[in-house]
Amino acid sequence: MIPAAFTYHRPKTLASALRLLETLGPDARVLAGGQSLLPMMKLRLASPPHLVDISRITTLQRIRKSPGRLRIGALATHWMLETAPVVRRLAPALAETASFIGDVQVRNLGTIGGSLAHADPAADYPATLLALDAEFELQDHRGSRVVVAHEFFRGLMTTALRPGELLTEIRLPVPARVGAAYLKMPNPASGFALAGVSAALAVDADGRCTMARVGITGVGPIAYRARAVEEAVVGREPTDDTLATAAAAAADGVEANADLFASAEYRRHLARVLTRRALVLARDRIRPRRQAARRAEPDAS
Amino acid sequence: MKIEGQYLLPAPREQVWAALNDPQVLQKTTPGLKQLVPAGEGTYDATIELAVGPVKGAYQGKVRITDTAAPERMTLIVEGGGRAGTIKASGALTLEAQDGKTMVHYVGDAQVTGVLMSVGHRLFGGVAKQLTGEFFKALEREVTRRRT
Repeated sequence: MIPAAFTYHRPKTLASALRLLETLGPDARVLAGGQSLLPMMKLRLASPPHLVDISRITTLQRIRKSPGRLRIGALATHWMLETAPVVRRLAPALAETASFIGDVQVRNLGTIGGSLAHADPAADYPATLLALDAEFELQDHRGSRVVVAHEFFRGLMTTALRPGELLTEIRLPVPARVGAAYLKMPNPASGFALAGVSAALAVDADGRCTMARVGITGVGPIAYRARAVEEAVVGREPTDDTLATAAAAAADGVEANADLFASAEYRRHLARVLTRRALVLARDRIRPRRQAARRAEPDAS
Repeated sequence: MKIEGQYLLPAPREQVWAALNDPQVLQKTTPGLKQLVPAGEGTYDATIELAVGPVKGAYQGKVRITDTAAPERMTLIVEGGGRAGTIKASGALTLEAQDGKTMVHYVGDAQVTGVLMSVGHRLFGGVAKQLTGEFFKALEREVTRRRT
């Protein structure tokens, strides 16, 4: 349980971290909260020659609101996302998702950026960030680019991040009158999602669904948008029956994971059941129009 | 752990069969394969280096091809290991001709031991599936390149 020797770097600024990553190339791994990487290193499944510890770059810990957006620094911990008032108000489904991760010790150290860059197929965040239509800011020493959530996750533990690039910020649009919910069936031992489903819904004045996004994690090699479910909901009134019918397509065309604990068919089943429940919960959380107008909350524009 | 699936290759069965039995083709198409050295009748010594996320490892092993019936089926037996554990796997490949194309069906069973399995069993199926996919995609490139 002792990792192989490595060279430890602890840059204090983003610029110096990006320079280091550029110089060290593929020999370096980024250490954020260390809740996935360090156990792998202790088991010697991973033995990177260089570790670049970015935890002292405090500018990456910020969570703030800008017009129409919630901006989350990549080093925000799960605990910060679970408890920060601005997250609970503007993206309650994200706070809910963070609260389901691991245990309190893991949530206190693990970071959203670390989890996303690691891209475990059973991680919780990807489902919700797909449903909330998040964007990711990636930086290297030359500059930055923005990748949308559904283009960020490429495969099992594989993302759009290139060598030398760092995930620096997660941006969420914060539209008014969207209801969202995350539900998961955890593995009772590890807490990882056997299946996790995030749903986001919006309706117009007539009660018809104008937007539906469903993100599913734990089921396939990487989190995915259940487009067939979304298409079956948009334009209709989201009644229990409509949502149940739509949810039946949650695992269509997905090569589901199988392991010692859960077969592929069981995971597909969980995906369908959790999708129905998440859609119903998301619908019930859409704030009624009149109440929204009375409150006239400028933040939620 | 069972691995099962099929892949349609846009080349005649004889050509796919030849590719599957050509060490030079296998060298190019097998993910992470660094070395494949013939070691007697239908047997090869293989060195594989794989990286999945932060997990990087080198694995040594023997590949044996048995029970062949050209150009229809073959059985692959793989035994090997690295620092993280050992693997013992067998897989049956069946080639079915379909209008000048070839459907390859594969059914395999793998026994994995060590840290690899105790920690990684949750991911192992996904990794196996991903690598199988990469293999067939590369094989498809090889057989279509040869035809033109």
